[in-house]
Amino acid sequence: MHKTLLLLFVSLTSLALAQTQRLTGKVTSLAEPDGLPGVNVTVKGTSQGTITSIGGEFSLDAEVGSIIEFSFIGYTSQQITFTGQTNETVVLVEKPTELGEVIVVGYSSIERKDITGAVSTINADKLKNLSVNGLDQALQGQAPGVQVTQSSGTPGGGVSVRIRGSTSISAGNTPLYVIDGIPVETGALGARSFGGQNDNALSLINTNDIETYTVLSDASAKALYGSRASNGVIVITTKRGKNSKTSLTFDVQRGIIDPVNTLDLLNSTQLLELQREAVTNAGENPDGFGLIEDVTDGVNTDWQDEVLRRGIMQQYQLSAMGGDDNTRFYISGSFREEEGVQLNNKFQRFGATINLDQKLTSKLSIGTNVTLSRALNKRVKGDNFLDGVYSGAIKSLPYHVAYDENGALVGPGSPLYASFPNFNPVAQALLPRFNTISVKALGNIIVTYEFNPHLKLKAQASLDYNNVTEDQYESSQTAIGGFLESVGGQGYGVFSASTFANIDSYLTLSYDKEISSSQRLNVVVGSELYQNTSIGGNVQGRLFPSDDFTYIQSAGVVDAGASFREPPHSILSFFGEARYDYDDRILITASLRADGSSNFGPNNRFGYFPTLSAAWRISEEEFWRYDFVNNLKLRASFGLTGNERIGAFNYLGQWGASTYNGSSGVVPNNVPNPNIKWETTRELNVGVDVGFLEERIQVVLNTYYNKTTDLLLVRPYALTTGFAGITDNIGEMENKGIELSVTSVNIDKDLRWTTTLNLSRNLNKVLFLADSVPLYRGYTGEGVDGTNIIKEGEPLGSFWGLNFLGVNSTTGDAIYEDRNKDGAISNADAMVIGNSQPKLIGGITNTFQYNRFDLSIFFNFSLGNKVLNFTKASTVNMGADIQTNQSVDALRRWQEPGDVTDIPRYELNSTLNNLHSNRLLEDASYLRLKNVSFGYSLPPTLVNKLMLNQLRVFASATNLWTLTKYTGSDPEVSTLDGSTSAQGIDFFTLPQVRTIAIGINATLK
Amino acid sequence: MKSRIYTYYLISLFLISTSCSTLLEPEPIDLLTDDIVLNEAKDVPNVEIGLYSAFRPIIPSTVIAGDCTADMLQFRGTFSQYRELGTKTITSANASIAALWGSIYNTIYIANFIIEKLPTVPGVKSVDRERVMGTAHFLRGYAYFIALYTYGGVPKVTGTSIEANRNIARASRTEILGFILEDYNEALGKLPTQTANAGYASDYALRAALAKYHLYNEDWAEAEQFATNVISSNQFSLEPEFETIVIDDFTDEAIFEVGYTLSDDPSTNGNIGLNYIFSGRREMIPANQLVAVLDSLNSASNSRDRYFSIKFNFNNLKGDDNGWSVDKYGTGDQDNNNVVVFRLAEMYLIRAEARAQQGKVSGSNSAQQDINALRTRAKASTVGSVTQAQMLLLIEEERKYELAFEGHRWYDLVRTGRAKDVMSAFSPNWKDAYELWPIPQREILNNPALVGNQNPGY
Repeated sequence: MHKTLLLLFVSLTSLALAQTQRLTGKVTSLAEPDGLPGVNVTVKGTSQGTITSIGGEFSLDAEVGSIIEFSFIGYTSQQITFTGQTNETVVLVEKPTELGEVIVVGYSSIERKDITGAVSTINADKLKNLSVNGLDQALQGQAPGVQVTQSSGTPGGGVSVRIRGSTSISAGNTPLYVIDGIPVETGALGARSFGGQNDNALSLINTNDIETYTVLSDASAKALYGSRASNGVIVITTKRGKNSKTSLTFDVQRGIIDPVNTLDLLNSTQLLELQREAVTNAGENPDGFGLIEDVTDGVNTDWQDEVLRRGIMQQYQLSAMGGDDNTRFYISGSFREEEGVQLNNKFQRFGATINLDQKLTSKLSIGTNVTLSRALNKRVKGDNFLDGVYSGAIKSLPYHVAYDENGALVGPGSPLYASFPNFNPVAQALLPRFNTISVKALGNIIVTYEFNPHLKLKAQASLDYNNVTEDQYESSQTAIGGFLESVGGQGYGVFSASTFANIDSYLTLSYDKEISSSQRLNVVVGSELYQNTSIGGNVQGRLFPSDDFTYIQSAGVVDAGASFREPPHSILSFFGEARYDYDDRILITASLRADGSSNFGPNNRFGYFPTLSAAWRISEEEFWRYDFVNNLKLRASFGLTGNERIGAFNYLGQWGASTYNGSSGVVPNNVPNPNIKWETTRELNVGVDVGFLEERIQVVLNTYYNKTTDLLLVRPYALTTGFAGITDNIGEMENKGIELSVTSVNIDKDLRWTTTLNLSRNLNKVLFLADSVPLYRGYTGEGVDGTNIIKEGEPLGSFWGLNFLGVNSTTGDAIYEDRNKDGAISNADAMVIGNSQPKLIGGITNTFQYNRFDLSIFFNFSLGNKVLNFTKASTVNMGADIQTNQSVDALRRWQEPGDVTDIPRYELNSTLNNLHSNRLLEDASYLRLKNVSFGYSLPPTLVNKLMLNQLRVFASATNLWTLTKYTGSDPEVSTLDGSTSAQGIDFFTLPQVRTIAIGINATLK
Repeated sequence: MKSRIYTYYLISLFLISTSCSTLLEPEPIDLLTDDIVLNEAKDVPNVEIGLYSAFRPIIPSTVIAGDCTADMLQFRGTFSQYRELGTKTITSANASIAALWGSIYNTIYIANFIIEKLPTVPGVKSVDRERVMGTAHFLRGYAYFIALYTYGGVPKVTGTSIEANRNIARASRTEILGFILEDYNEALGKLPTQTANAGYASDYALRAALAKYHLYNEDWAEAEQFATNVISSNQFSLEPEFETIVIDDFTDEAIFEVGYTLSDDPSTNGNIGLNYIFSGRREMIPANQLVAVLDSLNSASNSRDRYFSIKFNFNNLKGDDNGWSVDKYGTGDQDNNNVVVFRLAEMYLIRAEARAQQGKVSGSNSAQQDINALRTRAKASTVGSVTQAQMLLLIEEERKYELAFEGHRWYDLVRTGRAKDVMSAFSPNWKDAYELWPIPQREILNNPALVGNQNPGY
């Protein structure tokens, strides 16, 4: 009562003493020069205030002489003194500091300044001009310690992401992706192989709905994801409604797509001369092989040109967001289509998202995120497949043709058909139907109840449902459907459908309290149940009446098919975390998670994963006097994480079904290992965060040492046991590295120039393998056991091969090092010839803003990584066969005594000059102008006339320029998509594509 | 207030954890575990079929060994395993070599499992028990027979202990030979004389194996006797047309063949899918020299109808490709995808050789009669009066025409000591070491007892 009276008195007094006037004006910022909506405008010391409109305008009654404050999240607040002016334009400056930024980690959120682990965040706004299909692709070069490799230029294709290297050999190295609290499906959905390139479940998510990406790298940051976190966690939040007037945004992007490069191959005449020489060198008569000059080379087909094209990319999105105190929403619908550069290859996606938050009472709120998406991927075969499109185009001989004299595609039965092992790659692109239709339904419901400001209960249940249908037909004019009678004969149809569902529910109770003025305690405990299930089936049909009948209902023989259900894979977890903050100076976090996995037997079902971390904010200490360093934080963390991604029932000895002569019976599947247990990684991280000049320059440095023990791996057995091996915990591996990221606002005037840089170096080494037996991986190389090796003391991804010493200038034969001096060249002479892991990777982004213009230039690079140019085992094959076109390198071949060259003599059917050696290994370091985008926001006067609130036009280009010494088509490829031990093999792999696009972002009035 | 919250929380935790045991220990789907796979009478047929299923790939692998290693086929594909076999640059890393070894020991594992467990399974009818025990001994014996003549003395695995079988040295040839005969003798009298079809082992299949065993061991009288057992059983008769052998499964002369149906056709298996290897990919095609003798419609020729084993396609004739393919193995729907283990013609050839070696070259009950039985069927010229040495060479040729692409040639040349002469003329790369395949390199890496014990020359 007293207070009211006093207030009344004060205001009455003011009324009497001061004069109230109306102030109108506008708030803008550099990023929003046409007006910043939602800014709080308040009269200091009073309850008077308003919020700026969509156009950034406000009007407010205030007393002359009072102080008006403008504040907005993420911006530095500004005050002006009201002197009676009627119009005021305020330019708010974005807060350079990210210290107060709230970051979603694990099951809770935390302010950046309180973080004790290694965490990096990427604002999706930075990536909005990138033309990418999937969120994994978008992360390339954006965060330290994150290595992203797109396996090829195929749209919707596989992307390999590694955080701080590979911690596992066989239990998977893909990070855990958590979108709005939902762990989502990763990797390939499709069942059928396309020669080394997979589809990608993550391409079902529309990246334009994403607000932030947070990468959790060390044990402390990812502690609460314990069991599945040893490969790092990528936490993604999608856009949510704000407490503001509804805004409607329309985004359009359209562009063209071309391969970044093509290979230089021989023309008909050059190839014929080479083949005649190879046959002659083998002591045979080339005329007898039908290799006749001026006849055989009568045509010259450029097969790359025949199968590659310029693709069109287009993307449209309409989204609305808004809300009030109780309800907030975000709705979007999108369509994206990307034509591959290979004929008939296309990726198309429709998506819709709705995010809703509703406050039911002051204590109870409920929210949901729902995303529905459907992708149609029209795929083509490639890489390892002889009947692939790009692979076929590289291999096919230029003196064959795609179309006959009547303009019809050349197929099996035509005398013009090259036949095995070359099939008309144009027909292989155009004729088969490989439609992969994937549907994703991602949804959750979150309920939070605040008992009081300190105690909060949160429950979430979620579903990630993925369905993939593969609708395929290979006509009688294709290799499989026509040429290979053992498979198709008269057309070959496959239909398969599978469903993968991940169900996750968790419950957390969090307690947050200031114990005293200088101490704060935050505790979270919870439990989680995660289960994934899959079920599917397929059927194959052959002998179709004609190619007008393409579905299996018309097949003459339906003789193969299967259905399966995987036993549900479950993880049950209990976890707790306590954070203690002493005076913003000392921060300590401790956590423990216990996970039980259905993949292990009763002996070792549960794994326990504790972590401890601490940080000291030196800059908050009394003695800190160095004003130019406004933030200095030292961090250290140690903890355990686990990995259990192996198949079910390795702890049991199993017998599976098998058929014989029309009856079915059982055969043994595996040897039981009742003691199989969690793969565990011990992780140590030490880091420092430094902010200079009020956070204008921010530096984050982390170093780490991670040691994985009890590596889950198949221990090979001699086949005399009746088994190839047993899944066991048999290895140890370490990863150590250093990561640096720097963000700097270089100029902050009319021109604003910011630079972000990240660098990472990771060193991996296999420390121990049971029985010390090296494991061969990758492809079989000529004369050696494998192109890759996993060996004690060597990193994962090591390449294996002979040491090529050069060409004997007298005989023209290749010379290989006889390392064991036994006079013969064999696998025993092979050695580790290099490694696919880079010595240093990084990205640097420069953004410029001037007036209404914005420009962003993003480079990424990889230094010291090797790529196995395995394509050259075929295209510079020294006569191993005469069924493959050769690279122009072959023009340098040895031809007569005295020739000094690096390409040995060609001799038909001789592989001695083409044994697998380091001749094929190349330095694939590269610097790539990954993205450039340039935008212009139209002035408000013009925009208003268009009945719009905001309009930005931009042009964007990806993979515009590359600096590399690699002689293949592209240094950034990897067949065996997603492989851990055989990364970085270029085997007829489609190069990356260059996209040039223009686009519009418009906000409707 | 707070206590109530904790109560809710504990209840929910409890609800989750009570379902824990079933969640974390799901029931296997479409699987049986070791302990229940063979412990009652109804399990016996399943394990018996499993044994056949494991045995089956040995036979196509034997075709690869017997024909690709010898002078029957030449390379024209892309797989390095066939390049090595075709160009006679064989290494221990060869996938075909590992595939056969693996199938042999898979068969031995299941056979050992049955031999160890079946005697104690209650309630099994004695006729079933006898048959399955007999089958296990027979198939194990035949697996060792192939192992011995492909790799030499191999590890003698007689039990199912993983630890024992991971570290096991090579046994001597004599020891393996003795063990095969023990197995065969153990099976004698246990197998039925008639089976549903030639896809299952009968007593005659066992006798055919014994005839072959004694032929290889040059016990001519026993070889003749067991071959005669089969021939005079009247269960089998020579097909009137040779072409039937090429295009049909379960012919009248099939004694034992491994059965494939539409649903388990090996299709694109690069190690054992014979149609895929010989006809689809044409990794190996009939050697020019063989084509020259087989491709002859002249009724005076020695091979005559046996040319049905190969076929010509003009579109394939280019470069180093002679245009011919092996036509013996079709797909499931073409119904000639079974692979023969024994057929009657081989019994005639075994008996002919055994008789010739015993001096019974011509006249009644002679080699001449047996050879002419096959030649007449093939509409080829018959054999007149020849010397013993001439007869033995004629039999060698006859085996080459009659049993082409059925996995005999290399084994025949090696056992008769003719490999060096014949193969050196065929390929300049031939060396004596190729009279045996190497022990697969993977085995030497993973079995300490094999280290330093590779076959010479590899």
